[in-house]
Amino acid sequence: MKRYDCLKLLAPLVDEHMLTVTSLSSNTAFWSDLRREGVNFFGCNMGLCIPFALGLSAAFPRRKVIALDSDGSLMIDTSSLITVADVNPPNFVAIVMDNGSYARMGSTFTARKTDLEKIAQGAGIAKTGTVRGEEALAAAVKHALETSGPHFIVAKVEPDMVRVKGDPHRTYGRAMREWFLDAVRRHPDYQQARK
Amino acid sequence: MDQQSVQVIVETLKEEGIDLAVTLPEEPTFSLTEAMRQDPYFQAVTVAGEGNGLAFCAGAALGGRRVVFVTGVAGLLVGSWALSQMGMVYGPPILILASYRGDFGDHSGIPGSQLLMFKQVAEPLLGALRVPYRVVSQKATLKRMIQEGSFACQDYSHPIVLLLSGEVLW
Amino acid sequence: MKRLDCLKVLAPLVDEHMLAVTSLSTNTPFWFTVRPQGPNFFALNMGLCLPFALGLSVAFPKRKIIAIDSDGSLMNDSSSLITVADVNPPNLVAFVMDNGSYAHMGPTFTTRRTDLAKMAQGAGIANTGTVGSLEEFSAAAKQAMESRGPTLIVAKVERDAGRVSADRSRTSGRPMREWFMDAVRHHPDYKGGR
Repeated sequence: MKRYDCLKLLAPLVDEHMLTVTSLSSNTAFWSDLRREGVNFFGCNMGLCIPFALGLSAAFPRRKVIALDSDGSLMIDTSSLITVADVNPPNFVAIVMDNGSYARMGSTFTARKTDLEKIAQGAGIAKTGTVRGEEALAAAVKHALETSGPHFIVAKVEPDMVRVKGDPHRTYGRAMREWFLDAVRRHPDYQQARK
Repeated sequence: MDQQSVQVIVETLKEEGIDLAVTLPEEPTFSLTEAMRQDPYFQAVTVAGEGNGLAFCAGAALGGRRVVFVTGVAGLLVGSWALSQMGMVYGPPILILASYRGDFGDHSGIPGSQLLMFKQVAEPLLGALRVPYRVVSQKATLKRMIQEGSFACQDYSHPIVLLLSGEVLW
Repeated sequence: MKRLDCLKVLAPLVDEHMLAVTSLSTNTPFWFTVRPQGPNFFALNMGLCLPFALGLSVAFPKRKIIAIDSDGSLMNDSSSLITVADVNPPNLVAFVMDNGSYAHMGPTFTTRRTDLAKMAQGAGIANTGTVGSLEEFSAAAKQAMESRGPTLIVAKVERDAGRVSADRSRTSGRPMREWFMDAVRHHPDYKGGR
């Protein structure tokens, strides 16, 4: 299945008060195109997407927080899954877009022997799944957003054929951070520091 | 770290509204992290690696939580990638208390070659990563340093490191 | 079961030309006690034991390489399991001495939800197992040493009482490196350093 189609399917299931984090990958450009409002942190670099989203889930415990990670990024630091399992937050959802490649630099380990869902289970996350079709993905995501987590879903997607760039003012660096923080401050649950 | 320092730190963190305490246990700061783990005021999180630990702190901090990350120089080294992203690029306000392994006064028994490495690397590492830091080695100034570190952290919107040493740590 | 007893069972299976690597933990002084001679690299810091051993396994492809790691160390960089699976060296045997504790600092994730053998399988390592008794350990170790790897065995051991130390000049820092390099240079298979 195609990554863009998966994200397109996901977008209407994410309500305005849910928070999302994307990894540095075409997840960023695609997701920024599909979800223009709400709290979104774009372009989290390799290995950092899932733990960052985990932290965000500790800041917004009553809202679903969705990490849109990629296989290469997660594999840099699979130990983050151990931390997720131990913190065990019911509002955390990780969806890993697994295209089995590093951008367009050739295949990754998931194209060979590595099974990220199994690693997540070994880490201690009980609610996991791997999906290869859009219907299965839709069902898995709906379930994850409606029930207590943490949830971990691997979506097997085809490599994207072209390089996709997002709007640098919304998806990158300091500019992205300001959009993100603005949305965070306007979120109904935002609790500013006590002092 | 003795109970006196632990108490001062815990009290001051509470006064600063810091209620999320994150660590990967290490010996010099263990009495502190244990105290926070057992104190119902704090949400205490143990992480499997300092890289994902710092990223976790960043997400929580930018999301509005007040967070402290307790580690050592080794943890800063392991977490350097995360610090480069979560410091210079995104500036989350994270207060980091790091034991200054290898600083003069470290009689912990770790081999000299390791201690020397930590001593030589710690401050230049933080400089290279552009993380503001202070060495805190006197009990008399401990409280004030935590207050100032916490304030700076929020004010700059940037991670701040307090390197704990001397009579504060040993 | 006790960590030292496991290592005592392992030592006679390791011949003079096999290379061993230990993590920073009581693996180091204990292994030094049971196998003081031969190429040993001691006390690798958190997360580094397994990948270092993997590197040795490609430098000495005809010899068994033994990694003696610990749970906290491996969990610091569990992605190394993926690299091991992908390089797929038949000569690597990894033991994770899992006492569920960071030194004396209390329980790690393996006493709660984390299953390291399962993570290793997910990474792609086929030969994995978890053992809880000395008999099981002995059988698993023998089998690992006699078959094609890579193999990863998680040994559930008790926490060690008290502190254990070993001769610093043999087990840490530059002096340890020199002993190791001396053994390596004298190794019949050594191809380096011309």
